[in-house]
Amino acid sequence: MPFFSKLAGAIGALFRKKQAETELDEELRSYLDQVASDHLHRGMTRDDAVRAARVEMGSLEAVKDEVRSAGWEAHVESLWQDIRYSLRMLRKNAALTLVVIFTLALGIGANTAIFSLIDAVALRTLPVKNPQELVRVEMRRIRIITSSFTNPLWEQLRDRQDAFANTFAWSNADFDLSQGGLVNRAHGIWVSGGFFVGLGLQPAAGRLIAAADDQRGCPGAAVLSYEFWEDRFGRDPRAIGSSIIFNNRPFPIVGVAPAGFYGITVGTRFDVALPICAQAVFDNTILDARSHWWLNVAARVRPEMPESHIRSRLAVISPAIFSSVIPDAWDPEGKKNFPKWVFVESPAASGVSRVTEFETPLKVLMAIAGAVLLIACANIASLMLARSAARRKEIAVRQALGASRPRLIRQLLAESMLLSICGAAAGILLARWAGTALVAYISTRNEPVFLDLSLDHRVLAFTATVGVLTGVLFGVLPAFRSTRISTAAAIKGGASLEGDRRFRFRAGKLIVASQVALSLVLLIAAGLFLRSFVKLTSMDLGFDRQNVVLASVDLKATKLAPERRSAALDDIEGRIRAVPGVLSAGRSWTTPISGIEWNQYVTSDSPNAAQGEDRLVFFNFISSGYLDTLRMPLLAGRNFNDHDTTTGPRVAIINQTMARRFYKGLDPVGRTFQISPESGKPAQPVQVVGVVKDSKYESAREDTFVTAFLPISQMPGSGRTAEFEIRTAASLPAISPAIQAAIASVDKSISIEFHTLESQVGDSLVRDRLLAMLSGFFGGLALLLAMIGLYGTFSYLVTQRQKEFGVRMALGARLKSIVGLVMRDTAIVLAGGIIAGVVLALMSTGTLETLLFQLGARDALTIALAVVLLSAVSFLAGYLPARRAARVDPMTALREE
Amino acid sequence: MADLVQGTLDMLILKTLALEPLHGYGIAMRIEQTSNGVFRVNPGSLFPAFRRLERSGWIKPEWRPTENNRRAKFYALTERGRKQLKAETAEWSRQIAAIASILETS
Repeated sequence: MPFFSKLAGAIGALFRKKQAETELDEELRSYLDQVASDHLHRGMTRDDAVRAARVEMGSLEAVKDEVRSAGWEAHVESLWQDIRYSLRMLRKNAALTLVVIFTLALGIGANTAIFSLIDAVALRTLPVKNPQELVRVEMRRIRIITSSFTNPLWEQLRDRQDAFANTFAWSNADFDLSQGGLVNRAHGIWVSGGFFVGLGLQPAAGRLIAAADDQRGCPGAAVLSYEFWEDRFGRDPRAIGSSIIFNNRPFPIVGVAPAGFYGITVGTRFDVALPICAQAVFDNTILDARSHWWLNVAARVRPEMPESHIRSRLAVISPAIFSSVIPDAWDPEGKKNFPKWVFVESPAASGVSRVTEFETPLKVLMAIAGAVLLIACANIASLMLARSAARRKEIAVRQALGASRPRLIRQLLAESMLLSICGAAAGILLARWAGTALVAYISTRNEPVFLDLSLDHRVLAFTATVGVLTGVLFGVLPAFRSTRISTAAAIKGGASLEGDRRFRFRAGKLIVASQVALSLVLLIAAGLFLRSFVKLTSMDLGFDRQNVVLASVDLKATKLAPERRSAALDDIEGRIRAVPGVLSAGRSWTTPISGIEWNQYVTSDSPNAAQGEDRLVFFNFISSGYLDTLRMPLLAGRNFNDHDTTTGPRVAIINQTMARRFYKGLDPVGRTFQISPESGKPAQPVQVVGVVKDSKYESAREDTFVTAFLPISQMPGSGRTAEFEIRTAASLPAISPAIQAAIASVDKSISIEFHTLESQVGDSLVRDRLLAMLSGFFGGLALLLAMIGLYGTFSYLVTQRQKEFGVRMALGARLKSIVGLVMRDTAIVLAGGIIAGVVLALMSTGTLETLLFQLGARDALTIALAVVLLSAVSFLAGYLPARRAARVDPMTALREE
Repeated sequence: MADLVQGTLDMLILKTLALEPLHGYGIAMRIEQTSNGVFRVNPGSLFPAFRRLERSGWIKPEWRPTENNRRAKFYALTERGRKQLKAETAEWSRQIAAIASILETS
């Protein structure tokens, strides 16, 4: 086919439309003339000849239309016509149009927002060179996979591996930019010398950290992220060469990372990168510590090397590497097994995720938002269906004028598409805002979440697909339905539409029933998440989280000698207690539900003590004011006091769970246990002096941990940091200046960070709160939409049956029986929807099991509550139109038509 | 009178034009005459076919006076059209032969 000449012809035709039209007219006229003159020759009169020619030719317009549609430019043109016509129709019904677009924007926006998060968490590849070549390196033994490396282990792997093109390590850390006083955090990242090279990144300014920067004894060199450079330095090139102070130490800025690179841990972003060797500036033991697990390792594979080959190389080199860096603090069993670990690799083109915790909830929310969009689609479809009744005459007239059915369907679909495209466009705007709000919502003090939500092709493709599908979904049925009419009957109007009306009721009821079913599923899901969340928040955590201010204090910037730190912290504790408004105060190594924990295996003198893995005990060091401040009641024995000193006998207060686990049937007070010793040190006996009520250690969801509290005065090492728990009568903003002043009065260079115990507990429940809040919101929205659908459909049904009701009432039917008639219909639709909904819920909610707390995914009470709520609201939505129908004066109803 | 076999109208038009350029009515009459009145082409299919063939570059239009001195649009076969006719005729003969042999054997 001579495609190009055709194309040229078509394009030419688009421009020379007028000329082509006149030519066509003339051509057809001359044809007609010739036919007529032929007839004339055969002896017809002139008039007869012309008439006969016309009859033979048929409708001139129809022929012209056929000719026009012979080239594809006709489609472009008719599409343009459709769009213009649709715009006119939509403008004519501005209110309806706005409602539909708004509904669609909400639905599509919610879906896009959640998808953009999923995209950022799991789908987007890193903005680095050939991201598909990146793998994460982890360690496996039997079925356990762990990803944290010690520095000696990393150095061994770096120097001895030959399976990868290159390897690199990194670790996320927070740096304090302030010099004493309130902490000013910057997100830091420790990187190995091969990090930027391995990722194939080019500096935006200056240079990046290279192998030469990461040598033992290095002075450190800082690389800023582009955003940080922009925010703090206004992209001033003079920043390079200046120095920046972290944790009270100056580092020279050598360069800036490229824009758009936020690090390779998804969910975080870095402000500044320092070479790993610079850790020694702060703590000179970490680089050689064989039990400090803090680094992540990734590598770039050689494209030509098959995966199986990499695996076998890793298996070969592993034993030698692991046996050279056995952790010194491990027990003999662990040490013996350490060389049996093997390096493994897994794909990391999308980076390493820190927000995996949110992947399942996001998928659940995606499904929920999808269902809401479906319900909204159904509403719009009913709306369109109802409107098509109003447009019946218009469509009939157009059909009579020669519009073909496909042409009409296409025009109606163009209207739907236009609506859904507008909805999708508005939805994208909404999603930009909602996505940012969602990220801000899941971001907490200890785990700030950062996600790159810039629009990429995947998000755009997703929204476009959803938009088109939505348009088709709510447009197809009404379009086909409303064009299937008998022209004559439609123009006449009246009773001959009986069959058509019945169909519309059936379709309408089916749509409403499926809306009821879907919204029931969403209500059940929302109910499950809400009840689970209520259980979590109303649960007794074992401590009173209300009105407790937490102050994290760090002495790193002070000139205090390590042996004087403990006394300084005691001093601070006393001064805080003296602040007006402070009811009590305590001090500890860590706070409850903070995510910071320490555990050890314990052996005890008890005959009933736990064995094996059950011997693991979680510890905290606390001052004597701690238990009082958190309102944790002592059940037996005594609190710590001034006699529990470094030199005195070692003592402990244990929780009820530990008492049960180790001293079943015995009085624990006075008994002793041993903490498994660090290598080389003798195990010291610890005497139990008290038993305290159970409280949660790591999270609200845990089965209470076996916990032992040790006096902070007997804490090994020179506590540089401490947590203060302060019970106050005033709010945090009201009291923090006074507390800050009290701490500064000991030493001005102490750095401080404030928050509250309540927000710390709240942060730990952010996932549950997110699910409860959003599923509740979507569930409510689904209910509202379904009820609007129900109300609309039954209102329509009632108006259509007005005459029938009039006859019934004229014949003596009571108001009640008319209402009953409509309600019976409502009940049938509702019953169908509820049965389908419950079945659907039973089939699908199983996946929610792991997200719930002390609640089965098929919890009967929740399902029952959802059914009751839905039925009650549905009956109301059905009752209103029924009442209105019954109120109508029979005479009025009968006179109509 | 009979309907045309699907897709053969284009070929018949080309064949008709192979002798000399003709206007629309002339083509319709010529097809009717040469088929001994078996095929009557109605304008609703004739004119779209002209548009199609013209688009493909197989025929070329030209306004000329008719035998009784009226202006009419004449169509002439182009070089490409001639090739196309040849190809279509060959294909048609092949198919006819095939159909005939099937009909004979059964």
